[in-house]
Amino acid sequence: MADDEQDDQKEYRWETGYEKTWEAIKEDDDGLLDGAIAEIIQKAKRKRQADKTKQNRLGMMRHMFIVLDCSESMSVPDLKPTRLLCTLKLLEIFIEEFFDQNPISQLGIIALKAKRAEKITELTGTSRVHLKALAGLANVSLTSEPSLQNGLDLALKTLKVVPSHASREIVIIMGSLTTCDPVDINLTIDELKRERIRCSVISLSAEIHICRYLTQQTMGTFGAVLDDAHYRDQLLSQVDPPPAAKTQDNSLIRMGFPHSKNEVEGKDAPLSMCMCHIENIDEPSELSTTGHHCPQCNSKYCELPVECQCCGLTLVSAPHLARSYHHLFPVPNFEEMPYESVPPAAPDCGSLRKCYGCIKVLSPVTDKSVFKCGYCKQFFCIDCDIFVHETLHACVGCNTIPGVAGLVYQKQGGKAASKAAGNMQQQQQQHQQQQAQMQLPSTSKQRSQFNM
Amino acid sequence: MEIPDVAASKEAEASIDLLAIVLDTNPSQQIVRQNPQNLTQILEAVIAFGNAHLMQKAQNKLAVLSCSHYTTEFLFPLPGRHVELRQIDGQYEAFSLVEKTVKQQLGSILMNAPRLSAPCESLLAGSMSMALCYISRLQRNVPAGVKMHSRILVLTGSNECASQYMTYMNVFFTAQKLGIVVDTCALDKTLSLLQQGCDITNGQFLKVNQLDGLLQYLLWVFLPSPQMRHKLVLPPTPKVDYRASCFCHRELIDIGYVCSVCLSVFCKYSPICTTCHTIFKTPGPLPVKPKKKKKTDKQI
Amino acid sequence: MADTKSGRFASSSAAISPLVQSPENLECKNFQEYLRTRQTPETLEKLYNYPPICLAVYRELPEIARQFVIRILFVDQPVPQAVVTSWGAQRVAKEQMEATSCLTALCVWRVTAIPGGLAAWELSPTFKKSVRQVLLGGGKPWAMTNTLDKDSKPRDITFLDSYAMSRWRCVLHYMVGTGGRNGGTDAEAISPDAVRILLHANLMKRDERDGITITRQGFQFLLLDTRAQVWHFMLQYLETCEERGISLPECLSMLFQLSFSTLGRDYSSEGMNSQMLTFLQHLREFGLVFQRKRKEGRFYPTRLALNVTNKDAAQASTTADEERMQERGYIVVETNYRVYAYTDSQLQVAVLGLFTELLYRFPNLVVGVLTRDSVRQALRGGITAEQIVSYLEQYAHPNMKLVESAIQSKSCLPPTVVDQIKLWELERNRFTYTEGVVYNQFLSQNDFVTLRDYAQSINMLVWQNERTRTMVVQKNGHDDVKRYWKKYSKSGG
Repeated sequence: MADDEQDDQKEYRWETGYEKTWEAIKEDDDGLLDGAIAEIIQKAKRKRQADKTKQNRLGMMRHMFIVLDCSESMSVPDLKPTRLLCTLKLLEIFIEEFFDQNPISQLGIIALKAKRAEKITELTGTSRVHLKALAGLANVSLTSEPSLQNGLDLALKTLKVVPSHASREIVIIMGSLTTCDPVDINLTIDELKRERIRCSVISLSAEIHICRYLTQQTMGTFGAVLDDAHYRDQLLSQVDPPPAAKTQDNSLIRMGFPHSKNEVEGKDAPLSMCMCHIENIDEPSELSTTGHHCPQCNSKYCELPVECQCCGLTLVSAPHLARSYHHLFPVPNFEEMPYESVPPAAPDCGSLRKCYGCIKVLSPVTDKSVFKCGYCKQFFCIDCDIFVHETLHACVGCNTIPGVAGLVYQKQGGKAASKAAGNMQQQQQQHQQQQAQMQLPSTSKQRSQFNM
Repeated sequence: MEIPDVAASKEAEASIDLLAIVLDTNPSQQIVRQNPQNLTQILEAVIAFGNAHLMQKAQNKLAVLSCSHYTTEFLFPLPGRHVELRQIDGQYEAFSLVEKTVKQQLGSILMNAPRLSAPCESLLAGSMSMALCYISRLQRNVPAGVKMHSRILVLTGSNECASQYMTYMNVFFTAQKLGIVVDTCALDKTLSLLQQGCDITNGQFLKVNQLDGLLQYLLWVFLPSPQMRHKLVLPPTPKVDYRASCFCHRELIDIGYVCSVCLSVFCKYSPICTTCHTIFKTPGPLPVKPKKKKKTDKQI
Repeated sequence: MADTKSGRFASSSAAISPLVQSPENLECKNFQEYLRTRQTPETLEKLYNYPPICLAVYRELPEIARQFVIRILFVDQPVPQAVVTSWGAQRVAKEQMEATSCLTALCVWRVTAIPGGLAAWELSPTFKKSVRQVLLGGGKPWAMTNTLDKDSKPRDITFLDSYAMSRWRCVLHYMVGTGGRNGGTDAEAISPDAVRILLHANLMKRDERDGITITRQGFQFLLLDTRAQVWHFMLQYLETCEERGISLPECLSMLFQLSFSTLGRDYSSEGMNSQMLTFLQHLREFGLVFQRKRKEGRFYPTRLALNVTNKDAAQASTTADEERMQERGYIVVETNYRVYAYTDSQLQVAVLGLFTELLYRFPNLVVGVLTRDSVRQALRGGITAEQIVSYLEQYAHPNMKLVESAIQSKSCLPPTVVDQIKLWELERNRFTYTEGVVYNQFLSQNDFVTLRDYAQSINMLVWQNERTRTMVVQKNGHDDVKRYWKKYSKSGG
């Protein structure tokens, strides 16, 4: 145990990562600490971003289980209103973000209730089911202790049969300091390691040795939360795809791309019922003409992505794949420079310094540091920097200045990009042919009305 | 039934509507090459349309960007540029300011343009991303309790450029996330990517065949704000085809194979991915069930 | 013979028939209502010759109406009514009808016939011309936009704001009666013109004993937000301007030119006739424009003049920085009904004292509590619960607004307090008992009407229902009415 501690000295992120944290926290003029804490979180974000760009192979298709501790310790009100309710609220946000960033992945929820593990939802690709289940969990009674091993075993059973090209992950949210296991947990840990399932733990109380050991063995991350803002940060860091394990199998996955049949046949589509609601008692299936038809077996579904129940084919649409591209081609980090390095604009513009993205006038008081893109050499204010890296995933300068070498970084990963783009030309030609036949009726009516 | 409508329309009256127009001023567009006067005509229509938007409510805002072959710049508003403007005719001075600034700035852009040797593409996706940065800055600075709805209108006669696919998709997803509506007015060709974008963000796509009635088309279809478009009858949106096309033959496919590393799409199985060069694990031979011989056939 | 029954008759004070007198409340009209009720089609035509008025009218229209107008603005022929109806979606047919009726009432468009006999809509030509001018250009420039030399001593926006508010507060102080008495900084009295307007608007009344005092409507006026106050005041001014010999269209046009001007810019008063210059002087007194000297050729519109009809525009146009410079909210309302106001202005304290019980007074803080008695006293004075709540919301301290955004409720005040104020108002809806006599079963309608009008004239009528021909008269008036009835039935029908 002592050896472990010595080796792990550097890795207690929440200890040495913030060295002598009491010195870092300073009160600002009004005697408040908020600004200092916000700065710490900002710094951690930038560090994470810097780490992100180093990987090039990520696990895009993810199968993740969330193992949620529902024992007595989750009723402690140190996170308002109770740990469980705070967790459920944050999980809602997490689920939305997760499916937004990883549209072709699947998620499942397991709860550890009273020394047993219960599967709340199966692995599915749509968020609705999970959100409803989470709402139901709010009223569960919290008693006795959790059993970590039972939860892991249950998740293991399902993840074992998942195809090997997808990344398999478990995220455990532990509130208690103890776990009540039937057999030696090391056996489970060894099996997890064998099956290359990546386990990460977020602890709401304190660090437990066995959890730390679990994450180390399975190449996951461990975190303990300070408060709810920090908790949210930790949870959302799990949304980003993890680096692909070296031994992860790569394969070609067979997928279907449904399209509506109206355009092709020129007649109205027939009424049919959808397969996703067919066994649903609360919201039964309705007869309608719109929906997505599986190209293999023609069964209808309301939302994509989904796995066809009849023939087992995964159904997606092209934008879903496109949503994940930005993980593969991230925008490189901008360099932080002082305000003086921005060249003033032309004299007729009042010699003002402007941010290239949002044309905000930069002032030395509010914009002490500006950010420069290494490829297009343009300067951005801090808000645009955050916006570009977290939401937009495209550098404004590199995309508006023709011939910039910056487009190179897109071309690196980029044969994919040009091929994806080559799609578009093909699609476009096909669409042109189709649309030449179809005239939008109302516009011609409008034209005739006004004799234009 | 009525009360939520009344409350909703009152809220709509009190909110700010921001319209960002991305105008394609690339001289290599076919409509401009055919007749340079067309660009002037389009510009007049755009200015009148922008002013009509400002006329709707006193708190509405306008931004105009020009996407040219060598640069993308804001035509309006120009911070730091002080234009001393007095009315010379009956036009409201705010509208005169818009007209004068836009014309002046565009004039200087076209004057400083380097000579065009070969037709170049318009970097519309980049211009849209610049508009998004501007909109998000305004959104951050809105006073508490005031709602702002934004939309982007793209006016272009260029062909779509396939190499901008990634940026386009990033722009569309960002707009969808922020609740910004993207409308497109195509002056010459049909643009399937922008059509997809309009579909993703719930915007309108319109292809205008004659330039003469451009202002009327704009006023009809694009002037009403997205919140009130459901109250008017507008051209129906055609269904957009979201099928992918395979990387080897560029054909639209129904069922394909997707590489798990780089997400490229193929129409048939191959052992190596041609884009990321990963080697795929070949599936083992399918287990064959031994056939049970039918006794009845043989015996007789 | 009519049947009479005597007995106690209970009536709910909330349901009042139109013939019985009820106390008057402050009526604030917006621009649309003002035009519809006050102006005839001829005057509207005259008004539409001025582009600024047309722009203001356009912005006042409901949203669907605005879309319709802009669609037919550039079309020269009349558009068939069926076509216009087809522009709106089915589910908003009601809204569409309201919009069409609004456009017709304001004479923005009118019905004509096109060859073929179909009814069609056509925009009024003056309106069309003016709006096209505003949008695209052409025509004469507006009166106050002549080129000026650069001002040697330009005034910035902060100065203009403080000037405007101090002038406007003079008027309000005068109403509350705190101006001049305590020797405070706002000791300037207001001109007789302003007093005349206040009297005309029924915000103050001339009493033999007390001089000029504030009325019930005056109290309600004080609780409105500044923008609504300015607009209401200007409307009253416009009503009296014909008497002073100022032409209404020019006045309105000038007002709206100011309303659409840019803050912080100076404008020229050259070329205005004497009437307009007088109008400008009045505006200067109320704080809507700033002019250094009376004879000076330039003036600056202030924030009060901008967007005078539209509250939302003003709220939306202030950025976070500017908000600090303007009047900040200063009232904090707690869930235990305590009200803390960080102010030292006499006026604001006086207004608060109208509906709260003031407990403590510090140099920068006034503490009060909302009690049942204090609120009822205000309600008795004619202030409504809605006005109290909106006043508190309007001047709420910025910290209260932060709470609002955190819990995402509509109002930043604690819901318990808001509900309780409304309940105190509803409490006043009581049964009142009046002893009376019921008259019914009249043989003819005429009999009923005659008798009812007689009872009304001697102020003895309590309730009547024309349909069932029933009326109730007070007990002590019963004899008079009976006598009258006998006389009437003997003489005629």
